[in-house]
Amino acid sequence: MASRWANDEADAAEAARRKKEKEQKKRMKELKQRQQEDAAQREPADRPPHKRRRLSSSPSEKKQSSQDSSSERRLLRFDAPTWGPCRHVSNFETLNHIEEGTYGWVSRAREIGTGEVVALKKVKMDYVHDGFPITALREVAILQKVRGHANVVDLREVVMGEGFDEVVLVMEFLEHDLKTLQEDMPEPFLASETKTLLRQLASAVDFLHQNHIIHRDLKTSNILLSNRGALKLADFGMARLLPPPSPNASPLTQLVVTLWYRAPELLLGTPIYDTSIDIWSLGCIFGELLQKDPLLPGKNEVDQLYKIFSLCGLPTEKTWPQFWRLPNAKSLRLPRDAGAGGTAPAADTAALLRRKFPNILTAKGTDLLASMLSLNPDHRPSAAEILSHPYFAENPKPKPPELFPTFPSRAGQERRRRKSPHAPVRGQGNARLEGAGEVDFSGIFAGREEEMKGAGFQLRMG
Amino acid sequence: MQFSPLANPLATVAQLETSGSQLDGVPSDLEDSVRFAGARLTQAAGILLRLPQEVIAQAIVIFTRFWVGPEGGSLAEHDAEQVSASSLYLVSKLSAFQRSARSVVNVYAYLHSLPFTFIDLDQLHEKKDAQEYYVTEGTYQLRKKALFDMEQRILKILGFRLQVALPYTLCITYLQALDVFGHPRASELAKRAVAYLNTALLSPQLLYLTHQPPSLATAAIYLAAKDVGIKLPDVEWWEVFDTDREELGFLVVGLLSVGSFAAAEKEKWGDVKIPLTVDALEAVINARDVDGTHET
Repeated sequence: MASRWANDEADAAEAARRKKEKEQKKRMKELKQRQQEDAAQREPADRPPHKRRRLSSSPSEKKQSSQDSSSERRLLRFDAPTWGPCRHVSNFETLNHIEEGTYGWVSRAREIGTGEVVALKKVKMDYVHDGFPITALREVAILQKVRGHANVVDLREVVMGEGFDEVVLVMEFLEHDLKTLQEDMPEPFLASETKTLLRQLASAVDFLHQNHIIHRDLKTSNILLSNRGALKLADFGMARLLPPPSPNASPLTQLVVTLWYRAPELLLGTPIYDTSIDIWSLGCIFGELLQKDPLLPGKNEVDQLYKIFSLCGLPTEKTWPQFWRLPNAKSLRLPRDAGAGGTAPAADTAALLRRKFPNILTAKGTDLLASMLSLNPDHRPSAAEILSHPYFAENPKPKPPELFPTFPSRAGQERRRRKSPHAPVRGQGNARLEGAGEVDFSGIFAGREEEMKGAGFQLRMG
Repeated sequence: MQFSPLANPLATVAQLETSGSQLDGVPSDLEDSVRFAGARLTQAAGILLRLPQEVIAQAIVIFTRFWVGPEGGSLAEHDAEQVSASSLYLVSKLSAFQRSARSVVNVYAYLHSLPFTFIDLDQLHEKKDAQEYYVTEGTYQLRKKALFDMEQRILKILGFRLQVALPYTLCITYLQALDVFGHPRASELAKRAVAYLNTALLSPQLLYLTHQPPSLATAAIYLAAKDVGIKLPDVEWWEVFDTDREELGFLVVGLLSVGSFAAAEKEKWGDVKIPLTVDALEAVINARDVDGTHET
């Protein structure tokens, strides 16, 4: 006896019938559409067009429209996630440690059930006076929100240990971070590679900014790179949503972004800032990709400002009118002639950058970098503007990510060294130049002054 | 895969079928009462903490999600009052309006000192002895620890899914799209619609866990327009907002039934407090058992 699921004649007949029905329906639909189109074309000639849709229509018309709707209207349906309790951390076995970040330990691990290699980030439970660390909460919330963008690291899930003090984020594993990779490379990235990396990065940042998220800690050690040339932004521990403008919302922390990538307005203690601080960091990263070394490796806040001003020139009343109103600007002594456009390198950042990258960067590239490193935050381009900059269109074209060379992965094998400073720690207070501590400013400046010949500035002591 | 920021995580069928509390032998009508009282408590605490309604609504949704499903929290194990406090603390921390642990503990101590759940406004404004709800430093340390422990428990049970999309702004956008703001009573209509959205937070049918914000906003507008007597387009306008007729009908019935549910609750509990702690709940269940044995 044949299986009851086998095709028999009845099935074949049924299929044929269905096909015929379908074709007929299709034909009917086409006919109707044609009629409608004709009607639509005829209508303007017959009578003046309706400005508004008529609400009370004649019964026959109404009937027809409802028939149309039932077959053609499709309602938008959202894909919604569900929730369930956190799985236990024992579902993963650790392979090796990668690094210790600002607020967590990162290690490479394998999921026992699937054999898949992932990165585990254990949350440091330091701030017990506020309950569960807000940085970790924000990172999880933001990573869940930005999931799906090709250039943002994917948070798979959050797992927990026996006690409450073990919370681990499970993320996709990528072989490299840009910082370690550049340390190991003998030569900087090619111009075409730099372009691809910058474009991927700007695309991630654009996506964040469109979703009202500021990353607040963009730096090369937070940028991961796969062996297939895919760049992904990681470490959202400092990130937060731009709060809606509201008189009783709590103010934003000033002490954000790792020193070398921190925008001048933050160093000068601005009470309000926005997504433009990320663009500054992006400019620093662009410069770092070009020269393979950090662009502005300041030793402390004062030194950082000094390095910024010697790279980008001094702010003038014209380029940055709000400058002198920033809290920490009062403690700076800038050369008087800077504003008058005297001997000091005034605000022509582009000219200074051209001198710094004479052969590596084209005029368009210099223009882009100079705009990203505008001292005045209002003059920096948005991430979307960066993406449409002609720099990406000119030769050499961005190299397709698949053609990127592969490198031996240090994260896959061994513990990394770490030389760059960490992001500032929460609760250390607000950015204050005076707070730089025991560093002897006068000493630093004595040496620098000679070196720089008048372009520097001085801290008024006492 | 990226989920729309307008979409909420919804409860699955399995999660709606049973709950941790029911598995622990808590009768489901009692569960409804406690959830209702807990949501109201969260709303009251949020108002006293001067939090915006968005934050309060998110906290109520988190509170409701906590109790759902066989793997959810059980009323026989956790104090509803504590879950409410920790939800509010957790949500406020993620918002731009963080409130200190001390403020949260103080407010919940005050609300705990109220004599019954359905208190009259006059009684509320009676002068109270501050001694009754004063939290000493020692007690505060204990409560703070409980607050943080429950915060972690919530994170664990929800698998860190704290995202709550709300229908309030959508509702206003929809009203604009319907072009009603030229009407003299438009603001009355908007207020009424928002009131329905707040009502839905207290629904025993867990409307925020089963329906997406666009549908909730649409249903609220539909009912509000009926109440205020403003005529909306004579076509199936709800489909423009991605709600089909069946879903709209369900939500309308659900929203309208909250009023009678609340009235029945008030009648049922009268001058008694709805049990919001494990101990109080046990006492109520035991008393019911005793009554049961007397009857037989």
